Amino acid sequence: MNQRLVEEFRHAIGPDAVLTEPVQLVTYECDALPHLRSMPELVLLPRSAADVQAIVRICNKAGVPFVARGHGTGLSGGALPVPGGVVISLAKLNRVLDVDIRNRRVTVEPGVTNLEITRQVAPFGCYYAPDPSSQQVCSIGGNVAENSGGAHCLKYGFTVHHILAVEAVLASGDLVQFGSPLADSPGPDVLGLLIGSEGTLAIVTKAVVRILRKPESVQTLLAAFDSISEAGAAVSEIISAGIVPAAVEMMDAVAIEAAEAAVHPNFPPADTVLIVELDGPSAEVAELFAIVEAICQKAGATKVEIAQDEGQRGRIWKGRKAAFAAMGRISPNYYVQDGVVPRTKLPEVLGRIRALGEREGLRIGNVFHAGDGNLHPLICYDERIEGQSALAERVAGEILLYCIEAGGSITGEHGVGADKKEFMPKMFSQDSLDVMQSVRDALDPKRLCNPGKVLPTPRLCGEVPGPYREHPVERAGLAERF
Amino acid sequence: MSVSEHLRQAAAEDAFDGVVPRHVALPERGEELAQILADASRGRQLTVLRGGGSKLGWGRVPSRVDLVIGTEKVNRLLAHRHGDMTVTAEAGMRLADLNRQLAEHRQYLPVESAFDSATIGGIIATNDAGPMRHRFGTPRDLLIGVTLAMTDGRLIKAGGTVVKNVAGYDLGRLVSGSYGTLAAIVDATFKLLPIPLASTTLVATYADGNALAHDVAALNGSQVELAAFDISVSSAGRWILLMRMASSPAATAAQAAEARRLLSSAPAAVSGDEERSLWDEQIRAPWADGGTIVRLSWLPSHLPAVVALLSRLQQDGCDVDTFTGRAIGSGLLRLEGDERAIVAGIATLRASREVGHVVVLRATPRLKSQVDVWGAASGAIEVARALKRMFDPADILNAARGPI
Repeated sequence: MNQRLVEEFRHAIGPDAVLTEPVQLVTYECDALPHLRSMPELVLLPRSAADVQAIVRICNKAGVPFVARGHGTGLSGGALPVPGGVVISLAKLNRVLDVDIRNRRVTVEPGVTNLEITRQVAPFGCYYAPDPSSQQVCSIGGNVAENSGGAHCLKYGFTVHHILAVEAVLASGDLVQFGSPLADSPGPDVLGLLIGSEGTLAIVTKAVVRILRKPESVQTLLAAFDSISEAGAAVSEIISAGIVPAAVEMMDAVAIEAAEAAVHPNFPPADTVLIVELDGPSAEVAELFAIVEAICQKAGATKVEIAQDEGQRGRIWKGRKAAFAAMGRISPNYYVQDGVVPRTKLPEVLGRIRALGEREGLRIGNVFHAGDGNLHPLICYDERIEGQSALAERVAGEILLYCIEAGGSITGEHGVGADKKEFMPKMFSQDSLDVMQSVRDALDPKRLCNPGKVLPTPRLCGEVPGPYREHPVERAGLAERF
Repeated sequence: MSVSEHLRQAAAEDAFDGVVPRHVALPERGEELAQILADASRGRQLTVLRGGGSKLGWGRVPSRVDLVIGTEKVNRLLAHRHGDMTVTAEAGMRLADLNRQLAEHRQYLPVESAFDSATIGGIIATNDAGPMRHRFGTPRDLLIGVTLAMTDGRLIKAGGTVVKNVAGYDLGRLVSGSYGTLAAIVDATFKLLPIPLASTTLVATYADGNALAHDVAALNGSQVELAAFDISVSSAGRWILLMRMASSPAATAAQAAEARRLLSSAPAAVSGDEERSLWDEQIRAPWADGGTIVRLSWLPSHLPAVVALLSRLQQDGCDVDTFTGRAIGSGLLRLEGDERAIVAGIATLRASREVGHVVVLRATPRLKSQVDVWGAASGAIEVARALKRMFDPADILNAARGPI
């Protein structure tokens, strides 16, 4: 990157907010999807919205692409640096600006973690509902970018349902407020468009989030089944009984084995376990929970365990939430996929995934949000065996095709990012993708805001990745790009 | 496919805001709708999209209307996937018809309208919702996929048919509240809810608004989970609080008991048909007679200040005929009487710090010519306008009428 530009950034936001040393930059070469890496040319650490505006204006003038980054926990390469571009880390915009319990609103900067909001309001009996597994470390800015979900979105929705307003810097450098702390802002829901746009339309510098009162009662049960179809039937029965659980999670035998090896949740031996959680007013939870229990028994559960206290509930959730990381205990490497199918198609698609694993000789564990059909197949492989990494990736792609064929989606919560953009044409027509590209062009005509993410290489005039240039670190043999 | 066979001269009943459109087109399929739209765009015909026509007068007064495209024949229920609790319906299907069909599987779309003829397309385009928004939000919160007809004739999709999906831009959200200024909604997919097993509504009345505001705050701070929570005041000055509990039978009873404990005055309880007509009346009341209807928003904790503001309007000679509000901080005000007093009243509302987003929904064309029905444009509206230039380069869709 040309030195004059580096000086311009230093002048605008202070020399210590501009990282240029390879040893500093290496942290930012990927997010939580480590197989996609690219060394940024420069990392910028703004401390205010005004800093972000200054950076974006310089980028805009010089035609330099920029990638916003929260805490780097994304699972689709959404924060992957782009060649010739800069990374804007929002980590230092991390203040909680206002806590308004009476109106159930909290105003935060984007670098505040998801869990921090709950920490702030917990003394008042409130919490922030979206709970992605990474909630201890992921940032609200990243949650807004990805429209993050979590285990409880069946009842409580996604980030988009909990954000009332954001302030964001557009690719022009303008600072605009979208939405409002008040209901019913007139006009098209541009805020709803920005949420989940994966950092391709604007950079959020402030968010007003809605908080909820903690439910009076929470009840959790774990039911063991001999087959996934029995567990699936139980879920269907629960839903058709008119019950909307806070969470319905399933794990198959491979995932159970991994969780047991890692955190010993002491799940009963089973082909499939089902976790059902109800929350709400005590009378409602008590009444409906008895129905859920009866449904599980009737559907053939070999065992039903009801969490008697917070400790037992914590143990059940620990087993569930640890399942991803736990795969490391039973496999040298694993690939986490994220796809969605209509809930009624779960048994069929899981059957296909099982058959695929057997055919290709790879173990595939399944941990998923059964209530909303969001699958997370965990594909086990060993990168030391030649060809297995590529095979795992191919199998992961095949699973997405199953999801599309079942009428589902290629991503329920991890986002498209750099990872899945080539699958977008399988889900959307070229016309639909062209219109999405035009939306992007209307907000970012120079295509500088996180280019190369979400949409496949556009037909209209092509993303402008720039020529490959060897990074000094690569030249020095300290790192490689792959 | 011939476009002309769907086209007719407009009649007097097609008029709105005192303007008779030149032509009306009534396509039967999405492809035809898209084709008509493309022709209109090429011919630069100022076009208004119409569902049931119930909210057609919302917006600025048009100088002329060349074409109304009605969706009333694009009205099929495309799929009710009851096991997945989702539905796909065409834009012209009436909300009431949809809910009647969904009820066969004990499911519903928890959106209410004051108008029998309200359609799926219309509720999305206006993002209009009733008292149940307290729990379920507005239509956009339930919308999971759309098919849109673009002004160049392309039919495109965003979202999908599954309840959890983050692939691609959420254009369904973008057209929510767009008032037909960006593209025509052809069909929409929603997530559904089970019809609650039991429901009951408590009705409390108050002589003054402050006592009511106090009870609203008490309920908001409690564990009572309300499916709907409304406020209304009549010209007689009687304040009413409506609280609906909807859950399992025992839970509904327990919630009602808890609410009673918190309230400062003893409420009446209604359920069954009586409960249904009570809410129906509540939703329709502001629209039942003539008068100017203004929508406004406030922070829930500002309710006492809103109450005071309404009395100030009265003192200034602006007759507040009815006020119905959702406890989340959104309401409708029906203003009667002298036109000048109403215009002044709207200015007072806009100048006050207690309320925001003051939008004039229904008014005579003459009154609308004296106020900007949408209020001052925000930075977000400017961004929406940039999107409109891309979606509708000929600027034909609800041009100069809608919010952008």
